[in-house]
Amino acid sequence: MSVDFWLGVGVIAGIYGIFVLGLQINVGFTGLINLGQAGFMSIGAYAMGMLVTDAGWSIWTAMPVAIVIAIAAGLLVGLPSLRLRADYFAIATIAFAEIVRYTFQNADFAGGNQGIIGYDQEWRDISDWLLDRLTPLGLGDLTQLPLFLAIWITFTLCLILLKLLQASPWGRVLKAIREDEDAVAALGKNVFAYKLQSLAFAAALAAIAGFFLSFNVTYLYPSEFDPTFTFLGYAALVLGGYASYGGVALGTVLLWSVMEGLRFLQLPLGTGQIGALRFVIIGLILILASMLRPQGLLGRKAEMQLRG
Amino acid sequence: MQPNDEMSRSESEARRGGDAPPFLWAGWRRLPPVVYLALGLLLILLLLFAVAGPVEAGQSTLNGLVGAGYFALGAVGLTLVYGVLRLVNFAHGDMLTFGTYVTLAITSLGVPFWPAAVLAMIVTALLAVLIDRVMWEPMRRARTSTLQFFLAAIGLAMVLRYSVQFFAGSQVRAVGLDTTSSVDIGPWHLGSLQFVVMLVGLATILLTGAGLRYTRLGKEMRAVADNIALAEVAGIDTRRTIRITWIVAGGLAALAGILYATAIGSINPNFGFTILLSLFAAAVLGGIGNAYGALAGGIVIGLAQEWSTLFFNPRWKPAIGFAILILTLILMPRGIFGRRKARI
Amino acid sequence: MSLAEDILAIEGLEKSYGGLHAVAGASFTVGRGSITALIGPNGAGKTTLFDLITGFTRPDGGRVRFEGKAIAGLPPHRVARLGLVRTFQLTRVFAAMTVMENMMLAPRDQPGESLLGLIAARGRHRQSEASSRDRAVALLRQFNLENKAGDYAGTLSGGQRKLLELARALMAEPRMVLLDEPMAGVNRVLGRRLLDYVAELRQSSGMTFLFVEHDMDVVMTRADHVVVMAEGAVISEGPPDYVRTDPRVIDAYLGRPAG
Repeated sequence: MSVDFWLGVGVIAGIYGIFVLGLQINVGFTGLINLGQAGFMSIGAYAMGMLVTDAGWSIWTAMPVAIVIAIAAGLLVGLPSLRLRADYFAIATIAFAEIVRYTFQNADFAGGNQGIIGYDQEWRDISDWLLDRLTPLGLGDLTQLPLFLAIWITFTLCLILLKLLQASPWGRVLKAIREDEDAVAALGKNVFAYKLQSLAFAAALAAIAGFFLSFNVTYLYPSEFDPTFTFLGYAALVLGGYASYGGVALGTVLLWSVMEGLRFLQLPLGTGQIGALRFVIIGLILILASMLRPQGLLGRKAEMQLRG
Repeated sequence: MQPNDEMSRSESEARRGGDAPPFLWAGWRRLPPVVYLALGLLLILLLLFAVAGPVEAGQSTLNGLVGAGYFALGAVGLTLVYGVLRLVNFAHGDMLTFGTYVTLAITSLGVPFWPAAVLAMIVTALLAVLIDRVMWEPMRRARTSTLQFFLAAIGLAMVLRYSVQFFAGSQVRAVGLDTTSSVDIGPWHLGSLQFVVMLVGLATILLTGAGLRYTRLGKEMRAVADNIALAEVAGIDTRRTIRITWIVAGGLAALAGILYATAIGSINPNFGFTILLSLFAAAVLGGIGNAYGALAGGIVIGLAQEWSTLFFNPRWKPAIGFAILILTLILMPRGIFGRRKARI
Repeated sequence: MSLAEDILAIEGLEKSYGGLHAVAGASFTVGRGSITALIGPNGAGKTTLFDLITGFTRPDGGRVRFEGKAIAGLPPHRVARLGLVRTFQLTRVFAAMTVMENMMLAPRDQPGESLLGLIAARGRHRQSEASSRDRAVALLRQFNLENKAGDYAGTLSGGQRKLLELARALMAEPRMVLLDEPMAGVNRVLGRRLLDYVAELRQSSGMTFLFVEHDMDVVMTRADHVVVMAEGAVISEGPPDYVRTDPRVIDAYLGRPAG
């Protein structure tokens, strides 16, 4: 198969990678079950897209503002629901994601089902510029390469930042909250504030993933952001293992190799059936990993097995 | 805090009787919440009659009662499973899908629709029991964490939905019933199928409520949902109760899906997941874990969605369910009928 | 009694669950620098009282004053920050974190624990980490846990977890510690060491202790003040010798069904 094909897989895997880093800080390091990550992603992507197409902003100002908007959405969801029990928080976040999707699908300001188009000219310019530089190296035909590089460089930077944070006293508090939030509160830490911060990071990372997704698809369409995106993210998380940022890279690459690799098996099935089969496999991964490997498929054993 | 939580549950019967607050209207507080709810809904209905006119308001109420059936029957299984097993079953919506597609598969063999529906309810109930056997029970025994239960439920939802899609395709399918005839009730009218759905739905709500209240099985189920440890001490066979809970949840889920499909006329494999949030809204509104609450919550959701069309574009109907869910979570996470502690 | 003498004052504290009055108008004071024992039959409301004092449960009525400040209804972290730190009946260590990490978490006002502090006060946060680590090492040595510093807390024995929980509470430099059954599940040698250490701390730093305990020997020999609760209320308090002979106490323990 062509290099361009696998670059495309790498692009998707990288977008999911950034997205799942956000899930990891919530789930693996704070113990928050955030099922609304796709909602934050679409808010980030749509905010960026609308600021560029409707307000005429440059993407360089639109993107930071869009991140702030996604974080604000995270706080909005977290403020009422993080005080509730874990199962309520999960339901609240999934409801939030559906509301967001539904709004973008139906509200006139977001283009409805037509979506938003024409926000990515500045990115195309950068991409073309980079391709010109790559041509002398004989890589000029790989049109996906600039996006691939941008995504994985961003992923790496986010990964380094998160690892540094996790090694800090701040990260230590998060991890303790995952273990036993009452005991953390009894030591004078404001658990609620830390949970909100964790959620804010997840929302910001989701927004960044959303930017890249919107560069990749060239138009914003609400069904790109349905909750399935979050669930696929959880599959990558489970594959790579909890409580490990490095595992996220592993998990997302593995997930997408399996997903895309299915088409090489020459199964006697229609494309619709192969599509459905992929999701059945994802579902089975989630079930089996939850039943058999509490630390995630490739996760370290000790960390998750010592819990409660 | 665990012991306190237990205490608050086991003592909740005592609370309702004693401790009248020192207000003039103290006696009012002893009325069951369902009376308030009925009065509230009636008040809204009167307001709507005044604002939108009796024909429109009555028509939307009638339409709302059609939806009330499938929301209530879907929600009651969700809430019972939560109450008995503390499981937030994200796969419940896809049980609706499964049951409906099984019905269609059986009708394609030449069986008439309603007998096929009954068969599908049985098949779905058996599937629910089977899933508990191979999946939930081992996980309960392994004392799995909340996160793992959530992810397994999401995984199960995907397996169910996409298995259906694998065999039936993702396209929208017509249910294939006669959709042309209609029934007139005074100034209002309703499609015959919708009329049947309303009658079956409301009758099953009453039957389910009565079954929970008066049969031994129902009492046991409610006892286990209220406090499993106490129920065990009282000599209830909790394993059997769990099995029956799944049978009821699965069977009613299939029926809810079938009623939905009949009322709407066409479905695709995503419909169960789409309506899941409205089911959550009904369950949370009624106080999650409380079976009567879910039935009442389902009726409220059904009515609220149709009433909203008097003021908003009908495409926002599902958003009413979301809005009720979010408002309930913020304002009264225990729900109207709930007693269980929602805050940490 | 003046404020200077009492570090903690509880007045008419109430909490009921449904029809059950878990704490029904409990009042007592704890003298500064004392080791006070809280005893009573099962179900007397001792743990609920701890939850009410430390903000884990909101009282229905009554007042709690710590160092003269009203704290009833404050969230747990605010109470802890005032210097009132508790341990739990069922030990709560952070199992998947190392013993050292457990210790390092506890100090108050760590600049590195806020995102702003991480950026703005890098030097200060390094310094504070280093000094916390020194204190942690010293405390772990005192509790015979220094060899375990790098182990996951989840691998410790029940008794060692109790020790770690107390050591961790001390890392927070509290002015008063509430211990919920510190001896439960600890072998006698370790338990004695724990109590010796409590006595020593009171002596050296004037720290105040309030502890729930069932072992009457321990209560009578180690506490200098005893508060007795039954059915949610304080039925007797005073020096151990007084409480021991109080007929109301004997009645509470023997005359009525416990629990």
